[in-house]
Amino acid sequence: MRRVRAVLRIVAVLLALAGGGLYLASYFRGGCLLLGALLAWGFERRLALGADFGARVRALARRAAVPAAGIAAALLIGAAIMALTGYSPLASYEALFYGGFVRNWHISVLNAVPLVFTGLAIAFGFHGGLFNIGAEGQYLVGVMAATWLGIGMGLPPLVGMALIFLVGALAGAATNLVPALLKVKTGAHEVVTTMMFAYAIRTLAPIFIRAHGGDPANTAHPYVTDAVAEGVWLPLFKDFLPEANYRLHVGILLAVACAFLVHFVLTRTDLGYRIRAVGANATAARTQGISVAWITTLSLLGSGALAACAGITQVLGLDHRMFQNLDAGYGWNGISIALLARNHPLAIPFTALLWGVLDAGGQYMARTVQTPNAIIEIVKGILLFLLLAEVIYEKFGTILRDRLKGLLDRKREVRS
Amino acid sequence: MSVLASLLTPALFEATVRLATPVSLAALAAVISERSGVTNIAMEGIMLVGAFAAAWGGWHFGNPWIGLCCGVGAGALFSLFFAWSVVSLRINQVVAGAIMNILGFGLTRYLMMVVYGRQGTSEAVPRTLQECRFAIPLLSRIPYVGSALFDQTPVVYLSLLSVIGFAWLFKRTRLGLSIEASGEHPMALETLGRSVVRVRYLAIVLGGALCGLAGAFLSIENSNSFTEGMSGGRGFIALAANIAGGWRPVGAFAAALFFGFVDALQLRIQGLGIVKVASEIFLVFPYLATLAAVAGFVRKSRPPAALGRNFSVEHPED
Amino acid sequence: MSLLKDTPPLLETRGVTKAFGGFVANRDISIRLHAGEIVALLGENGAGKSTLMNILYGLYRPTAGTVLLDGEPVRFASPREAIARGLGMVHQHFMLVPTLTVTQNIILGAEPVRLGHVRTREARERVRGLSERFGLTVDPDARVEDLSVGLQQRVEILKALYRKARVLILDEPTAVLTPCEVEELFAVLRRLAESGTAIIIITHKLEEVLGLSHRVYILGKGEIRGELRTSEADASTLARLMVGREVLLEARRDTEPVPLGEQVLAVEGVAARDARGLPALRGVDLEVRGGEILGIGGVEGNGQRELCETVAGLSRPEAGRILLKGRDVTRWSVRRRLQAGMAYVPQDRRGEGLVLPFSVEENLALGLSGRAPFSKAGFLDPRGFRAHAERLMGIFDIRAGGADVPASTLSGGNQQKIILAREFSRNPAFLLVSQPTRGLDVGAIEYVHHRLLELKARGAAILLISMELEELFALSDRIAVLHGGEVVFERQASATSLPEVGEYVVRGRAAGTGRAS
Repeated sequence: MRRVRAVLRIVAVLLALAGGGLYLASYFRGGCLLLGALLAWGFERRLALGADFGARVRALARRAAVPAAGIAAALLIGAAIMALTGYSPLASYEALFYGGFVRNWHISVLNAVPLVFTGLAIAFGFHGGLFNIGAEGQYLVGVMAATWLGIGMGLPPLVGMALIFLVGALAGAATNLVPALLKVKTGAHEVVTTMMFAYAIRTLAPIFIRAHGGDPANTAHPYVTDAVAEGVWLPLFKDFLPEANYRLHVGILLAVACAFLVHFVLTRTDLGYRIRAVGANATAARTQGISVAWITTLSLLGSGALAACAGITQVLGLDHRMFQNLDAGYGWNGISIALLARNHPLAIPFTALLWGVLDAGGQYMARTVQTPNAIIEIVKGILLFLLLAEVIYEKFGTILRDRLKGLLDRKREVRS
Repeated sequence: MSVLASLLTPALFEATVRLATPVSLAALAAVISERSGVTNIAMEGIMLVGAFAAAWGGWHFGNPWIGLCCGVGAGALFSLFFAWSVVSLRINQVVAGAIMNILGFGLTRYLMMVVYGRQGTSEAVPRTLQECRFAIPLLSRIPYVGSALFDQTPVVYLSLLSVIGFAWLFKRTRLGLSIEASGEHPMALETLGRSVVRVRYLAIVLGGALCGLAGAFLSIENSNSFTEGMSGGRGFIALAANIAGGWRPVGAFAAALFFGFVDALQLRIQGLGIVKVASEIFLVFPYLATLAAVAGFVRKSRPPAALGRNFSVEHPED
Repeated sequence: MSLLKDTPPLLETRGVTKAFGGFVANRDISIRLHAGEIVALLGENGAGKSTLMNILYGLYRPTAGTVLLDGEPVRFASPREAIARGLGMVHQHFMLVPTLTVTQNIILGAEPVRLGHVRTREARERVRGLSERFGLTVDPDARVEDLSVGLQQRVEILKALYRKARVLILDEPTAVLTPCEVEELFAVLRRLAESGTAIIIITHKLEEVLGLSHRVYILGKGEIRGELRTSEADASTLARLMVGREVLLEARRDTEPVPLGEQVLAVEGVAARDARGLPALRGVDLEVRGGEILGIGGVEGNGQRELCETVAGLSRPEAGRILLKGRDVTRWSVRRRLQAGMAYVPQDRRGEGLVLPFSVEENLALGLSGRAPFSKAGFLDPRGFRAHAERLMGIFDIRAGGADVPASTLSGGNQQKIILAREFSRNPAFLLVSQPTRGLDVGAIEYVHHRLLELKARGAAILLISMELEELFALSDRIAVLHGGEVVFERQASATSLPEVGEYVVRGRAAGTGRAS
């Protein structure tokens, strides 16, 4: 029995890898392999859990119900707005999903890469009871670190990349050092401190850009620096999968690996356990000897490091320079992604991918059916609202339940 | 010495007041809502909505004053949604503010296409409020600051009046006392028979009207059309001004004025080409000042005791 | 001070009952209050006094029964209505806005206005007039946060008088006053009563009852246990009624006497302040030896919380030392004390003892997660967690849907078992435990007592803090009483009785002198 399960697990992983890779080249073949991986994994879990399997699946469905309902409701409201203002919801959504999921899938994936990292950063912060809203600033720090190290440093490929990631992550962590100290010493709320830092960094970034070859006076490309040395560019999928899109880089693999890493740290290490304890009930943690000050600091630093990695992958993988992304809203989007995934690290790649699809599909929709893709922004805002307005669900839920009960009772009366 | 003379011209002070106006209006909005206990980071989004509405009103009706009213009204209406989210639904106030910003950007960009059929900048309004500049007879003759304060455009006057008005409100009216109680000890207010929910709704909507006014300034007084994203981060500088100003109307106004001064100074220095210092060093000033205030280096600026905590009579510990 | 018993009562309750879900806070309460009378509601914490007052004031609605004002039934939907009908309340935790002035606080909600403008000057004059009339001198322009607690209380009273209160309800008014301020307050209240105001004082202090009131109702566990004319009552009678007539001493679970070991915990001259900065512990000396249970009785608010916090390491005392197994641990962190053999079962099991969203097995590892069997080199071992949890759940009979269900789904008794199991698994040399059986049913209480005695038999030293006298007697070898931050009584349990301890709990030092008050 155990051997069968082990075999199934290996098969699932291999199929997933192969399918994922192939999907980037051929959607159909890759998709089939991925489906096979899912089935293999499903069988393995069924054998492992036995009777529990059904209960587990139901529990998972219940946890995903609220986000799923939120997505559906937000899309519906978006459709209503489109209809009211003279655009066709059906045609728009068709273009959206076709563009995002099929035709421009590679753009969706490219969009998702930094979002996974910022989503992880914010979720990690939430687990520790912290609201790292200044992820934007840490992202920029990562971008600047990567650009600075990458331009003309002549580093050998792999070592260079590793070094850049290390230094960049540390820089991102260091960005949150002052907010962490302020929080521990004076109780200053990290929302204000990290936000101020983010805006300060954003304001100072042009200095960096000018120092590295950019020219803010150039209206066409005001914020473009020199290119990063080719030696540290992230490899492209095209290098070993010729059918893949020419811009798709392996950053997505790094992002997914990072999600696993964060999940591992939170669930399988003592540090992660303590972070979650402090986040859930700092008083109880303190009563049991856990140093809340130390853990809070580490949480904020870790969150900063993750957000910085978003910037590093963006520079090394896609832009190869510091690009015009001073206002990408990664911080705010990161909040939505984290909340949509209910702060579960393994769910974040999926929600980040959804966001990437929305962005890529939105642009395709704007190009083909001329629906303004700002509707996507509105849908995102409504979705975030619906995720949080749990009270609405409670009210809806009880109203629905009472109506159903009323219906069933009446049916029973009629029958008897 | 001549450097100083060429710097501190009346034009500099005028620029200070002009640059500070939208920020001081939004900062006042922050003061009101945060004093009532609601953390408000939504000023950016509400300003955008107000700016768009003002530009539309001014263009559609051909009258900038109607545009002004549209801006204020839109700001108040949009902030009603924020009030509903945080006071009635008791959503986390910071995230609710983020939602408002996302929706503000999204809605205005979307409506740009719907109303004007293009992105970027809207149709120009035929008459802007800039043309309605007028000077107050004697006061505008005061050297240096006279023209800055008393020879200005309507919204600037309104902003000055608002500061005085709200300072008076907090000290001398029922609403002012209730707002302060709602932010410091909401249960006390409730036991005295006044509804915290009502007070907070009122505070947020008042703030929204002010943000709408700030937006109107941006689109039909400082310029002649609406441009996407024209709030340009002023909402967050206003937040900084509120904190640096110690959550008081006059303090926030002074902070906003100071930030405007630094901004104007930076522009002037750039224009004169005196010093080769990057202008951005000046622009960072508001954020550093806020950090210092929050860290307690500036005088004891304490936020309202109940700030950020959603209130409900059944769950006073919420 | 004539009691007009023939006149109809100004305020009356008939059969008022209030239930919160399954918990009955007030059961069938009937009290009467006449104009010019001072009535005291005497009872321990949790007796239901505050609930009753909140009903009268319109913050809660009674589940059953009626409230009558001037002989007519009333049902207040909010405090606003109660205020309008002439009820004024001085809460235990002041309802004052710290950043506003005295005048502003007093007029809040009832400000005199003209054209939108609040007439502060007029208000100030009225406040000054009131304060002179009733001897409640206070500076009308001072900010409330700058005032002493006694002065703040005057502002609260003035708030009620400004609204022409005919009935004044004071909730534990002397809890935060100095003796001098208490005397001043009494004088004010007597004057108010003479001018016709009806006054209810909620208290657990006998001195207030005997020194001030005309009549007293004794409340216990939500019911009225007695009604007396103060002139016919004395301290001992009141104490006995408060503590309960059931002098049920459970048969001590003593099997063989346990040999007394070395001194494990010593508290020497510890002084500490509470969260407000007022002195809470004034030079406390205690010691506990291995194999014995020292039970500390006393009503909440007499320093128990601060004692727990200083012994556990959550806060530093102002003065004095704490010794654990002979070593001075006064400056040690909680973690170091836990590692040195201490264990702590806090009073608030949901807020301080458990992380409710965590699973049972995760809670069982709280504070222990850094070492085996839970983790190795920083990495958690799920099997270690599970094995530990299953073992403890078996030993302590923790009923849950599994080791991985959230702790929030367990009953109160089972939640307490988790905390006990975890702390006991440390094999502590010293256990600090506070209110271990609060809110538990009889079966759970018995179980907890059994476990504590078992731990004692293994040679541990236990410091038990409890408000339940029966519990103290069932478990302790020695009993002490904490009153006003001092240890006012300490004796072998076998050499004292429940009524005697009860009297010290209620009266403090005065109990020993035999004075009436």
